[in-house]
Amino acid sequence: MLNKKLTRRNFMERSTAMAAAFAAGTGFSLGSAQAARDKELNILCWEGYNSAQVLDPFRQAHGATVKAESLTNDPTMINRLRAGETKVWDLINVNNPWARKVMLPEGLIKPIDRATFEPYFERMLPAFKWPYKWAMDESGNELIGMIQRFGPYSFVVNTDKVSRATAEDQGWNLWNDPANAGKYGILESDDWNVFDLCCIAGFDPFKVHTDDEVAKFTDAANRVFKGAKVVGDIATMNQALISGEIDFHLTGGTYSASPARADGNKNIRGITPKSGPMEGGKGGIAWIEVTSVVNNPELSPLATEFLQYVQDPKVSHTVAFAEGTFNPVTQMGDKACFDLFTAEELDAIQWDSLEEEMARSAEYDIVPDYDKLLDIMTSAKKAASAG
Amino acid sequence: MAGFRNALPLIIFLAIGFAAPLLAVIGYSFMPERSFGLLHPPTLENYAAIFNGNSYISFGWSLLLAVLTVAFLALICYPIAYGLARVFGPWAPVITLLFTIPLFVSENVRLYGWLLFFIKNGVLLGTLKSVFGLELESWLFTRPMILLGMVYVYVPFMLFPMTLGVSMVPNETREAALDLGATRWQVFREVELPLSMPGIVIGFLLTFVLAVGAIAEAKILGGQTVIPITHDIEIAFTYAQNWPLGAALAVLLMLVVGILVLFVLRRFDLDAVLGRR
Repeated sequence: MLNKKLTRRNFMERSTAMAAAFAAGTGFSLGSAQAARDKELNILCWEGYNSAQVLDPFRQAHGATVKAESLTNDPTMINRLRAGETKVWDLINVNNPWARKVMLPEGLIKPIDRATFEPYFERMLPAFKWPYKWAMDESGNELIGMIQRFGPYSFVVNTDKVSRATAEDQGWNLWNDPANAGKYGILESDDWNVFDLCCIAGFDPFKVHTDDEVAKFTDAANRVFKGAKVVGDIATMNQALISGEIDFHLTGGTYSASPARADGNKNIRGITPKSGPMEGGKGGIAWIEVTSVVNNPELSPLATEFLQYVQDPKVSHTVAFAEGTFNPVTQMGDKACFDLFTAEELDAIQWDSLEEEMARSAEYDIVPDYDKLLDIMTSAKKAASAG
Repeated sequence: MAGFRNALPLIIFLAIGFAAPLLAVIGYSFMPERSFGLLHPPTLENYAAIFNGNSYISFGWSLLLAVLTVAFLALICYPIAYGLARVFGPWAPVITLLFTIPLFVSENVRLYGWLLFFIKNGVLLGTLKSVFGLELESWLFTRPMILLGMVYVYVPFMLFPMTLGVSMVPNETREAALDLGATRWQVFREVELPLSMPGIVIGFLLTFVLAVGAIAEAKILGGQTVIPITHDIEIAFTYAQNWPLGAALAVLLMLVVGILVLFVLRRFDLDAVLGRR
């Protein structure tokens, strides 16, 4: 425990020092063409990859300063690259569609060496074997990132109040039943809430929507926010579920429920509906993170080193159970990695139903009219607070 | 001239640290929606979007909650301020300290403390259930809880200026009024209250301005059942990635608060309030 604490403290100290050095560095290195970057690495990521458990061994092995900044929504990270921070970052870790559909076409990231990375896919879980769609460009020739964490992400129930079977059968209609008003919460994860409201309204989120669908979305947004007992972050949702303030909450899955499950609350469970409005009648939505190399004019040579480093079975397990949330990793297809997971850990990430839940889920994609739907949802949130 | 030179470091500091960000916010509010630069042709579309949308609900909540917070705090703090200035004597510093100590703990942590206190099966309801067998409905995530959180958080900001105001009233004026046959109520109404007004007004202003910008109470204790204007601004800058809209909302908030404060300050001479005639 003491050891862990010290590492964290070291991490904080180092981060502060690095942030200062980094701030000074960016100011002064702009003019110098030969800024030596072989001992530094900057990662823009979801939380987990920024934890000391993951980064410290890499820092020590390479004598490198590694700065990792975590954010909790994809568009913000991508907008930072768009705003000119491609000069700053070496790696970016976001959900699946962004690399292939947005960042590569916009020249924000660049392909990585196929020969080096293709063998790693052999050891991944069956659903992620080479050539894995989201790690490849549209032509299928270039490898544009590596995959690791993933998970189904639809909603979470307290199985003492709503059984798993009922929740899976009723699916998104849980939010269409007026009797459920006041019994649920909504996780403050607005991009995902837009997807989920589309599912509740009965159509696929990942396409351009007709006026009729937008009207249905507006109605669903107003209704669902009006009936919500609480809107908040993951900790608030888990606390409200455990204490009995709410029976289920919108937007959630392994990623959000795993901390509560790891804490012994096995009645908190991520649910993937058996059927829904997505292509092929799929009921849930899943995410797969893709970590790509930024199109940085002075790219650190450590970027690809790090991508290889996190493929290691032990490091993969650390990534899966890094601080914050706990998630399955594609490297669990490798026995050496899988064996590192204890029965408790497997239960926390709902390993028992993971495969079927992923099979029932559509993959996170880009909503073409996201801005319009988000504005409607924000307006519905405010309208709910008026009544 | 020497005075100006000496003031230069401060002027530069204020220009960079205060004026520049403010100007950037104002500049962004005139940029096209969802743009990230300041070099586009200016437009009023963000303001139009706000007036056509329902952000007035958020403005309304922020202002209403701030007014209610000020009103409750006035009622709660005046007796305490009176006590601190006149009654508690040697205990006054200890009591002052008790009101100050919570300020050393982050506001969020204190609010989460309240959350655990009020949550179902938590400190309050859990105890009532296990000791008295009483099962009450949870009060958490309701509007009165937001108000409770705000009143609690802003107590010191109302209490201390008020205490100063009350202690500014010379005892002789009170005695003179009583000697001249005033009732206790008249002494309060016609002597103590007007003379302690400077401190009260500063307390009102300070609390009001802070409370209009409150966000954590509605998020943590209110469970976002109310979206105050500051939260609306936050959504625009984060999930919506619409900096110009967020900037326009911020500018409007500054205008509304600025006008209200100026209105109050015009009615109360600031120099008199600060005791410099």
